[in-house]
Amino acid sequence: MVYKKIVKMIPVEKRETLSDKLLNYLLKTKKEAKMPSSMANCFLTQWQTSTFDDEAGLAVLLEATATVELEKTTEFVEKDLQLADVAKAIKEAAA
Amino acid sequence: MIMVKFGVEFVPKEAYWKTVYYAIQSEKRGFDNLWITDHYNNRNVYVTLAATAMYTKKIVFGPGVTNPFLVNPIMTTQSLATLDELAPGRVVLGMGAGDKTTLASTGIEANKQLSAVVDAITIFKKMLEGKSVNYEGNVFKVSGTKFNFKPRGQIPVYIGAQGPKMLATAGKIGDGVLINASHPKDVDYAVSQIKKGVDEAGKNMSDVDVTAYTSFSVHKKLDKAMQAASPVVAFIVAGSPDIILERHGLEMEKANAIRAGLKKGDFGAAFGSVTPKMIEAFSIAGTPDICNEKIARLLKSGITQFVVGSPIGPNVRNSIDLISEQVIPNFKQ
Repeated sequence: MVYKKIVKMIPVEKRETLSDKLLNYLLKTKKEAKMPSSMANCFLTQWQTSTFDDEAGLAVLLEATATVELEKTTEFVEKDLQLADVAKAIKEAAA
Repeated sequence: MIMVKFGVEFVPKEAYWKTVYYAIQSEKRGFDNLWITDHYNNRNVYVTLAATAMYTKKIVFGPGVTNPFLVNPIMTTQSLATLDELAPGRVVLGMGAGDKTTLASTGIEANKQLSAVVDAITIFKKMLEGKSVNYEGNVFKVSGTKFNFKPRGQIPVYIGAQGPKMLATAGKIGDGVLINASHPKDVDYAVSQIKKGVDEAGKNMSDVDVTAYTSFSVHKKLDKAMQAASPVVAFIVAGSPDIILERHGLEMEKANAIRAGLKKGDFGAAFGSVTPKMIEAFSIAGTPDICNEKIARLLKSGITQFVVGSPIGPNVRNSIDLISEQVIPNFKQ
């Protein structure tokens, strides 16, 4: 729910870039153990039934990536996408 | 338009959700078959396949390949029969002799490899009939062995083969053959041996799914594709008999440098010794156009399934998309 609200703060034109970057962070992470199996299953169900480009999909992906690679995620959102308020909201949600 | 099935191989060395992510992606992007490798030092193949079954709908999958030495054929049959309940009609068995070096590290002596594979497949087929099985092979024997459940039926058997006897046997008793090769010279030779077995069994080549199980690397930039292929090719070179290296005119000095580097754990030196000629011999690596040309050549050898195996590309997710967009459409109606 929190992450759905965060996604709404992200301009639509930046969502595809973010989704692509987050998938790379997630699939290349070495911190696999940080991913709870319930979250992993939610991630896979989303991928099986839809994509990560729409609001619901991006929320699932953002939550998973913030759980596993918080620093990389917030750095990209803040520095590359220039969305400091979104980065702050992600940090608060993940805390 | 030539029709060929496309398969993809994944090594379950990372968390299950990554492998399953790629499995879902492969199904969405038009691949027909999915093969998961079976090595004791990675995640378990059947657990990975069970998860894959739950998240996919049509892709055909199986171990690519298991071996009868580390996993008893009865347990292999039980695993596949159960998977066939999870994903009816989508399961295949890939069975090979196993890698002697890896098996040696488990204390298993993989002797009488051909007999072991034949015994394992015989037991597999008999047990899937759902009856009590008595069988005395050269390596495996079973007596009054029967499941307490009724398997759904027969499951196609693919045999991983390289040597002439295993290739001919695969043609004789297999529904498919997994040829571990990427170069036309090796694939042509393999197909000629498979045909001997097919003829002996009174079958037609069209009865066998002749599969090129390649080391594959694709990227829009040639150097990136080649760079990604180097580590996998280094291991292939190190494990290849000298006769294979000579067949491809490769420098023994370089090959020995790779072997020495890998033995010492000096991967930088080993991978750095891989030459473009080695990559050419043991992988299909390059831009989509280059890969398309090489696949087209292999189709002329008579293959009916093309498997993109490790590394697939520098970024697996992007490479699967690239294959889906710029390779598969050239070979599918």
